[in-house]
Amino acid sequence: MLHFAKDVLPDSVSADFQNLNKFNEQQYKRLIEILFQFLLDPKETDRFMRQLTEFAGEHGISAGPLRNLMKSVLLVPQGALKKNLTAEQVKQDLLTLGLNEEKAAHFSSQWGENYAALSRLAVGQTLMVNQLVDMEWKFGVTVGTSEIQKVGNVFLQLKLVVRKGNSTENVFMELTLAQFYNFLHEMERAKASMECFA
Amino acid sequence: MAAGLSSEDFTNLQLLLKAPSKDAVRDVCVQSHRAVSQRLTENTAATFSIPAAQAAQLIQSLHTLSHHVLFYNLTSPEQILAVFPESFHSSLKNLITKILLENSPAWRTEALSRQVSLPQLKELDWRVDLVTGSDSVSRMAVPTCLVQLKMEDPCPSAVGDSISTVTVELSRESLDTILDGLGRIRDQLSAVAGK
Repeated sequence: MLHFAKDVLPDSVSADFQNLNKFNEQQYKRLIEILFQFLLDPKETDRFMRQLTEFAGEHGISAGPLRNLMKSVLLVPQGALKKNLTAEQVKQDLLTLGLNEEKAAHFSSQWGENYAALSRLAVGQTLMVNQLVDMEWKFGVTVGTSEIQKVGNVFLQLKLVVRKGNSTENVFMELTLAQFYNFLHEMERAKASMECFA
Repeated sequence: MAAGLSSEDFTNLQLLLKAPSKDAVRDVCVQSHRAVSQRLTENTAATFSIPAAQAAQLIQSLHTLSHHVLFYNLTSPEQILAVFPESFHSSLKNLITKILLENSPAWRTEALSRQVSLPQLKELDWRVDLVTGSDSVSRMAVPTCLVQLKMEDPCPSAVGDSISTVTVELSRESLDTILDGLGRIRDQLSAVAGK
């Protein structure tokens, strides 16, 4: 029974972990280093592939099979992150998959060290709807209009930049002074509410 | 719009002497301020027993006068009386002045609320959610804030709806940043007010 995955894994995964055992300590640690570097920067797929290809060259092995092996290995931390697994649980899963004790222990200690950063990253990727990305403002005084020659009202103009899918949308609005103070008050209340969950 | 007043306008205004009552004068003054319409012309012609052409001119002149008073913010009786020529019928002048003074505050407020503006924030609602799971992490406890802003466009286009709603989601960091910005605005406003 694996913690990190409910489904039955393909046989190739088990074979990949057996092959992982064949690397010596130094090689294994380097591969794990490359792996976690990628996990912490998941957009850097090119760099990940390049580093694996370099490693393959340095150690006289084929790049293709190495990449496939690492893709299998990736399943463990990715699943573990989704399920908020502890370092101990990750180690158990690796042992179940056939990784030897020493290597499993090293992996799980790296997991423990990087867990906080990886969690934050995963949480940061959580869906946000109409996320506010920027706010610009200006305020001033209306000095006159076509209807009234002399006026002296303070106005505040806000521009909110909202993410809509892959692009952003600008929302413009104007507030009176009273509305501004209300806006400020309400946002302070919202913040206080959020702090309850801190 | 603040067009100037001509002697012709004051000639037209004297048509008010044909009003059946002071209330009739008040009514036509108030209605002409808002808009000069065919219907108003017809009603005035009927009420005052004057030809439609004269009614139209009267209404136009009243409109010009009331907007002149509004534009230049003439708020004292002396200021308004000074607009009329010496020869103008004295009692009528006093009555018109009184009516204009009575209605000016409301007209000013209305003009300000209808001035050229970006959509005005009308309503602000928010809620704070606790996100407990997502496709990337099955268990979490992250607060997030949804803010709904309702805006009204004071000068809507013929096709568009005047009320628009925007809902934005804010992370805790975004909310802090907004409060930072709003705080700076408040400080700047205080500085300006202090001067």
